[in-house]
Amino acid sequence: METPRPGRMNAPGIKEPTEAIARARAGDAEAWGELYREHAPAIFRFCRRALPTREDAEDATMEIFMKLKDKLVQYDATRSFSAWLYKVAANHCWDMLRRRKIRQDKETGDVENVPLEHPDPSQLDQLIEQRTSEEVRKALDKLGGRARMALVMRYYSDMSYDEIADALGVRRAFVGVVLLRARHELRQALAGNAVLAAGGAS
Amino acid sequence: MSEEQKENMKHLDEMTLLLYIERQLDRARGLEVSAHTQECDTCRTLLRALERESRLLTRAMLEEDEPLPSRLAQFQERARKSMQWIWGLVFGLAATGVYALYTQYVQPWQQQLENAGFGGSNLLGLLIFQGTMWKGWQSMMTLLEVLAMVTLAGLGAMFFRRRIRRGSALALVFAGLCTVLAMPTGAWATERRTGQNPTVAKGETIKGDIYLSGERVRVEGTVEGDVFAAGKDIDIDGHVKGDVISAGRYLQIRGTVDGNVRSAGNTAVITGTVSRNIMWFGDAVTVDAAGKVGGGITMFGDTLAIDGRIGRDILFYGGEINLNGDCGGGVREKGNMLIIGSGARVDGPIHYEGNKPADVAAGAKLASPVEFKQMEKKEPYREGRYYVWQVIWGAAYILFGLVLFALMPKFSQEVVKSAEQYGASAGLGILVGFGVPIAACIACVTVVGLFVGLATLSLWYGALYYGAVIIGAVIGQWLMGRTSELWPLIGRMTVGTVILRLCTIIPHVGPWVKYGAAFWGIGAISLVVYRRLQPMIAPNMPSAPYTPPMPPNTTVGGPLPA
Repeated sequence: METPRPGRMNAPGIKEPTEAIARARAGDAEAWGELYREHAPAIFRFCRRALPTREDAEDATMEIFMKLKDKLVQYDATRSFSAWLYKVAANHCWDMLRRRKIRQDKETGDVENVPLEHPDPSQLDQLIEQRTSEEVRKALDKLGGRARMALVMRYYSDMSYDEIADALGVRRAFVGVVLLRARHELRQALAGNAVLAAGGAS
Repeated sequence: MSEEQKENMKHLDEMTLLLYIERQLDRARGLEVSAHTQECDTCRTLLRALERESRLLTRAMLEEDEPLPSRLAQFQERARKSMQWIWGLVFGLAATGVYALYTQYVQPWQQQLENAGFGGSNLLGLLIFQGTMWKGWQSMMTLLEVLAMVTLAGLGAMFFRRRIRRGSALALVFAGLCTVLAMPTGAWATERRTGQNPTVAKGETIKGDIYLSGERVRVEGTVEGDVFAAGKDIDIDGHVKGDVISAGRYLQIRGTVDGNVRSAGNTAVITGTVSRNIMWFGDAVTVDAAGKVGGGITMFGDTLAIDGRIGRDILFYGGEINLNGDCGGGVREKGNMLIIGSGARVDGPIHYEGNKPADVAAGAKLASPVEFKQMEKKEPYREGRYYVWQVIWGAAYILFGLVLFALMPKFSQEVVKSAEQYGASAGLGILVGFGVPIAACIACVTVVGLFVGLATLSLWYGALYYGAVIIGAVIGQWLMGRTSELWPLIGRMTVGTVILRLCTIIPHVGPWVKYGAAFWGIGAISLVVYRRLQPMIAPNMPSAPYTPPMPPNTTVGGPLPA
């Protein structure tokens, strides 16, 4: 079912450093450094989007790379390295959020009910038209942990529904629901009112 | 409108549309949605809005709004933790080895020599182990404790660096270290007296240490701790049970000092008693006929005149010694002149390296004749040994560079890069190169600063060598082209360092090249350190390129091919 979208095969703009991985696995510090330099900025941005503060993102990035060092042997070289890397990152960030129970107050807890509202299309269109990426980033900060994680996994690292389901521990069938709910939350944060989020027309 | 059309016009729910654009619907359902959105304006508008929303989200997330924090840019060093542990282990083992060697062989051997009447007059021993330089060595007791302390501080730094971010961690660890160092004296009550004539009056007893500073400093009473004095004239007429540490023009000791005297100044006159050692940086020291020094004298200065009694060795670098009293140990001089009067008695060997032979009066009682060595005057360039040493030095430089480049590759690469900002690094080099030792010396004479001063000085000294290696790398890059890889850079460093060392051999120009390179390198190091201390300036890390969003009218979704 899954087909990567054109232009964004895996993680944003990362080529597969097969040789470096092999050397890093063998314990070559230089190759490890190469991997780090190559991927750290993308992973940092992933964490920055997924976690509430910059400090958290910095810590998480470091921890992910520390983990990675031990986990590198588990990596299946026939598969995409960046996809694998994002999986590790997503699991780490989600664990971190869960541990801190950041999500508890904002989470509805209910992922299995599909929001059946139908937002006013033109109003939604207008809202999207008017908002800048910066505003979206600010709005993202206001979302609950799960919503945020889901959006970041899907729209930053282009993870598949299966991968998202795996990372968040929900059934695959409900990933769409989580994403839609997340979008609603985001719209609410963007619009500052509930009209568009809950939807008016049907 | 037919029933079928009406059915078609029943709007699709948002979930379905989202799954459609995300290509999560099966083929049949996808075709249905596709057909419906062709017909239904409302659903088409919503579909488009959802697509736009997706693009906006992707764009918002992929945009680089902030650079990689410098903490992360530097993290690579720490990612090599395992390597560093090995280095740490090696260092620890080496230090333990040195310590074992010292306690097992050097110390007993020195003891034996001392028993046999030879004083251990090597400079290192005097500086460090006899506590001439710094009292702290005595309170620390063993080298192992120092090692443990350093390790502890390192671990502390590592721990706090993770918890408290940036500079505050360093400050905390540093403060902790200072507290630990201050602890042995912490039990004392410490007094401080300043003014025109700070005085410890006759009959007065100071229980702990005392800091005195003023134009004329006088100690006429009793001080049970140390005296730290700074002033133009310093008179010790009373009884000091600890050490006297002073900086001033004129120091006169007519009373009794049970500890050491460590001073810098113009002239010192000892007519009283100093039970332990004297270390003097300055012009002249005179030990009067009535004066007694229980330990040895280490002096860097112009004139040392002795009419009184010295218990142990005399170590002297500078102008002339005029000895007319007793010396219980040996004499080692490197200077211009050695005059031994008829009233002199020296129990140990006398080594003298100078321009002209010693002038020994007939009545002098010497344990052995003066061993005189003419100061080398001939051109060193003619000797083969000189070149051997040059090769050894060159190899040492390269080895040093290799270790540093391997230990901190990113830092070194950055330093090499900033050394290429010629103006900034050279300017800063002159500033730091001269400023730091001056500041460190000032820190040394002040009270708390001794440890800080010494540490800074040794760091500065190390940086001089590191700087030279960096400039070697720059020269290597001039010749062989730039590189961003570590090992090629080390190769260039090796080539450049060899060339630099060759340049330093050239008569007259050599020293200028040597110091110029060292200062320039120090400037580059300072530049990088300065930048690193500014957390906001993150290095330009390569980052994931921004993928432009899909053009507005791209068709997204639709049924998948079977």
